[in-house]
Amino acid sequence: MQNTIFSRIKNVDRLFLIIVIIPTIIATIYLGLFASDVYISESRFVVRSPDKPASTGLGVLLKSSGFTSGSDEIYAAESFIMSRDALAALNKGGRFEKAYGAPEISLFDRFNGFGGDPSSEELYKYYRNKISIEHETNASITTLQVRAYSAEEAYRINAALIGMAEAMVNRLNVRGRQDLIRFASVEVEEAKARAASAASALSAFRNSQGVVDPEKQATVQIQMISKLQDEVIGARSELLQLRSFTPQNPQIDVLATKVKGLEREMEQQLSLVAGGSKSLSSTTARYQRLQLESQFADKQLAGAMASLQDASNEARRKQAYLERIVEPSKPDEALEPRRLRGILATFVLGLIAWGILSMLLAGVREHKS
Amino acid sequence: MAADRQSLGSYASAWAVQRRVIHALFMREVLTRYGRHNIGFLWLFVEPMLFTLGVTALWSLTKATHGLDLPIVAFALTGYSSVLLWRNMPARCIDAIKPNLSLLYHRQVKVLDILIARLLLEVAGTTTSFFVLGIFFITIGWLNPPEDLLQVIGGWLALAWFGMSAALLLGAWSEQSELVDKFWHPSAYLLFPLSGAAFLVDMLPKQAQEIVLYLPMVHCIEYIREGFFGSKFHAHYDMSYALIVSACMTLIALAQLRKVSREVIPE
Repeated sequence: MQNTIFSRIKNVDRLFLIIVIIPTIIATIYLGLFASDVYISESRFVVRSPDKPASTGLGVLLKSSGFTSGSDEIYAAESFIMSRDALAALNKGGRFEKAYGAPEISLFDRFNGFGGDPSSEELYKYYRNKISIEHETNASITTLQVRAYSAEEAYRINAALIGMAEAMVNRLNVRGRQDLIRFASVEVEEAKARAASAASALSAFRNSQGVVDPEKQATVQIQMISKLQDEVIGARSELLQLRSFTPQNPQIDVLATKVKGLEREMEQQLSLVAGGSKSLSSTTARYQRLQLESQFADKQLAGAMASLQDASNEARRKQAYLERIVEPSKPDEALEPRRLRGILATFVLGLIAWGILSMLLAGVREHKS
Repeated sequence: MAADRQSLGSYASAWAVQRRVIHALFMREVLTRYGRHNIGFLWLFVEPMLFTLGVTALWSLTKATHGLDLPIVAFALTGYSSVLLWRNMPARCIDAIKPNLSLLYHRQVKVLDILIARLLLEVAGTTTSFFVLGIFFITIGWLNPPEDLLQVIGGWLALAWFGMSAALLLGAWSEQSELVDKFWHPSAYLLFPLSGAAFLVDMLPKQAQEIVLYLPMVHCIEYIREGFFGSKFHAHYDMSYALIVSACMTLIALAQLRKVSREVIPE
């Protein structure tokens, strides 16, 4: 009995044995006995950010060819998920290493299954094999798949990753908003300080010179002067009349004193408007400069405040956010490895390889001399 | 055990004969195709080199239509060299048997040998041109050295295998029907724009990507390009698909060729 089986095996083509039967047996043993169940947790998300207008014609062209449909933030989120930082966060306290190096997992699938001192680069390589992230350029939906050897672990890692990616997008947002607003608010502060100092300079000048508004004061004064002048002219002509018609009139002295008094008063008023060191005309120039400075500072402040308002609006509008379309799933069945499929694939591939090789060898054999 | 050794020995001697036959056919092919005048067999790689140079120059000039900060020289070089690799082999193998029928008088010359000699010549030519142009562009600074040389070589070999299997298959079929020759030329032209020579899969809309990725050479070209400048774009490929298609085609081709070589009658 044993002999017949043995001779039968011997009769089988050696090539067929090596290329088809042995790999199929190995695949059957591995997939049937060793390979651990793999649970897949899947989640989907989009990173939304407002459209950045394509400024040039080329930009429009690229946009239409589907280059910029993903925002910058989505690439940031993707590259973060595949990064060593994400792994380091997951592996706090060796948690990731422990989960994938558990003794229940078969030797071939486990992290560092054959012992030794694993480097963090090896862990990273292993990590990259377990995480898959696929970005659909057109719909800009990103699918994140995590493969683990237990359902909870797959779910936990997926949820942690998506949470970290969300935190990162938010961090980018905060940073962008701060950048936008910071310059505007610095400008507002500066403008405020300038306006305050200009106003205080103006009021100090008013106090020290005892003027409120030289222009207006000057008009009042000039009116007064002209009134005085009228009176002076009236008094003078009356005096002239009296002197020429009634030279002994005692009124003459009175009138002369009045004219003198009026003239003195007029001169004094005139010197207040122009000429004297404290006259209005000499203070007007400085007053106007100070007033101009103050007005200008006020205008600047108003402008800066408007641009701060714009900046904060803009920042609010530019906010990108990560939206979960599908929350991480909790797998209740191991989808991989697909054992029968794997065995069948090995067998069929073996058959193809055997077919090719045996025909090539037959071709060689034809040359036998 | 003794029988095994004997059969291995007979394989070895038969293989030695076949190698000599293929070598002789190869040299004959070089001479009949390129002759001894002017630069002779140098045309082997100068011809595809001129093609690639021209296309590279054209594409470099029309850079704007491609956009992106893609290395355009690397893009053109990988794209067009790859096209030459998979397109010329079937062209050389279709109807390759009839003109060589007289050779089959020699007992040791088989149909497969003729085709293999032609294929080797074609692979050698396009590979040399790819290599020489690559070195040339790298030397003058137009091209950065590949990021992963082994990946480029692997992709190139896979593409060569695909081209060979297609060539063998079409060569065998052309023996049975003249239609193959008639259909190959238009379909080669149609395949050219679809083959990934002039685009990156990532640039296409999703639906088009799915369709284009049915073509095995697209996978190979994407793979080669990822080896060349993978950090600059996102490659889409599944090399196992390309290899399995090549394997299946090789299997069918070899079976067909065995049939053809039984039927063929030396003149």
